[in-house]
Amino acid sequence: MKRTVDVSIPLGPVHPCFKEPARVKCETRGEYVIGAEVELGYMKKGIERIMRGRPWQEVMFLAERVCGICSVIHNMVYIEALEANSSIPVPERAALLRVIVNELDRMQSHILANFSYCYTIEHETLAMYLLDIRERVMDELERITGARVTCAYIVPGGVRFDLRSEDDLHLRASLAAIEEEMTRYMQMFATGPLIALRSRGIGILTKDAAREAGAVGPTARASGMPETDRRLLHPTYRKIGFSPVSRDEGDNYARIMVRFDEVLASIGLIRTCLDLLQPGPIRGGGIPGAGEIAYSGEAPRGELSYFIRTDEAGRVLDIAIQTPSIMNIEACCHAMLVGVASLADVSSTFVSADPCIACTER
Amino acid sequence: MSLLQSIKNFVRSKSIHVSYVDVGSCNGCDIEVLACLSPRYDIEQYGIYVHNNPREADILLVIGAFTPGWEDKLRMVWEKIPDPKAAIAIGNCPISGCLFDRPHTLIDPPVAKHIPIAAQVPGCPPRPTEIISAVLSVAPLVFRDFEEAKR
Repeated sequence: MKRTVDVSIPLGPVHPCFKEPARVKCETRGEYVIGAEVELGYMKKGIERIMRGRPWQEVMFLAERVCGICSVIHNMVYIEALEANSSIPVPERAALLRVIVNELDRMQSHILANFSYCYTIEHETLAMYLLDIRERVMDELERITGARVTCAYIVPGGVRFDLRSEDDLHLRASLAAIEEEMTRYMQMFATGPLIALRSRGIGILTKDAAREAGAVGPTARASGMPETDRRLLHPTYRKIGFSPVSRDEGDNYARIMVRFDEVLASIGLIRTCLDLLQPGPIRGGGIPGAGEIAYSGEAPRGELSYFIRTDEAGRVLDIAIQTPSIMNIEACCHAMLVGVASLADVSSTFVSADPCIACTER
Repeated sequence: MSLLQSIKNFVRSKSIHVSYVDVGSCNGCDIEVLACLSPRYDIEQYGIYVHNNPREADILLVIGAFTPGWEDKLRMVWEKIPDPKAAIAIGNCPISGCLFDRPHTLIDPPVAKHIPIAAQVPGCPPRPTEIISAVLSVAPLVFRDFEEAKR
């Protein structure tokens, strides 16, 4: 069938709303979007090409620089893949500390995503509130790991630094403050009439479309697919009793609310881990050996998979990374953006899927 | 110094419009630039305004090692910025390529090969305070008496 396209409007690569370069080409009839296409390729560095043939110690630092926003989960999945490969045991305390740091990272990533959305729909007050509370999370991350973004906290057989007793107190105090503020901001977002006009019923991703596109992470959970959460399969998360959050609306509003809910769920998980922490070793040691493994974990944006093949000396012979954003970007341009009523909603719908271009292209 | 120049100096000292462009980083420096917007650092008290529109910018923050996709586009972005202008390299990537500059890589650092860079902020990633202090220390050097110095 022949389609009538009035005009094809490109957004990006340098765009006020996008943090990273991506080009969204919208085919429109008037302002009504009838199709969209995302053009990538501005960030391709070839990280997997660099990784091949290098020792695991170097690949560890490259792996966490696949994505700067969710660097802890890249570190964690890569190291846990090596551990599963070579059967390296992890001390009890280290496993809980990994979960604490991973959940702090998830909190700052979700708060940043919600900040971007609020900024895109021009609700700058809420956006600035969220960015301010994110700094508290970054402080805790820095206090525990020693760096704000690329911390390389997780090493084979344990973690780098212990949680001191004053860190424990400080973390609990910060969590209480963050929980109180986040509940208030969540209420602001849920009840704001102007926010609802820009968010409810816009960019709908139905459950069937989400399953067909293979959407993952908060994008899929906002369309009623809680089983996509890979944390359900992780041994430490199973021990501390984790249950995923989900909503059924599948619109922009649901995606942001799922992230708010997950931030509160992360606070609960960190509190559980802090209660379970027992004194003990944090680093058992162990050297990665030869083997081949595929391993997945739940990044803030969805399922992250690593395929690694190593030789006896621990050199990485072959590596393949599948990051979550590429699935969500495809779901975004094939299902969410189609039928969006105005061009102003294109950028907010695109941002609500929380695309991370750096880890999509690597 | 003419009266016009002194008026321009006064106005420019409290109005610095910033645009940022990511030419292939890991995103870590992007979020540190975004963190500068937060009320804790409060860049608007210094008169810095993050616009992210090259046509209205005074200072371009370049983030990331240079990827092939930006071969001619970065220069196009740079040429769209009206004079007086300056570019600041944020992070190790635009300075040296950081740990991406290895055999079989696709990147082409440093960014100074492609556009003139006025200042460099090393770090992987640098802290938001360092980014703000770099912008504040470069701005008077470039913008003060710009028309008279050109003549």
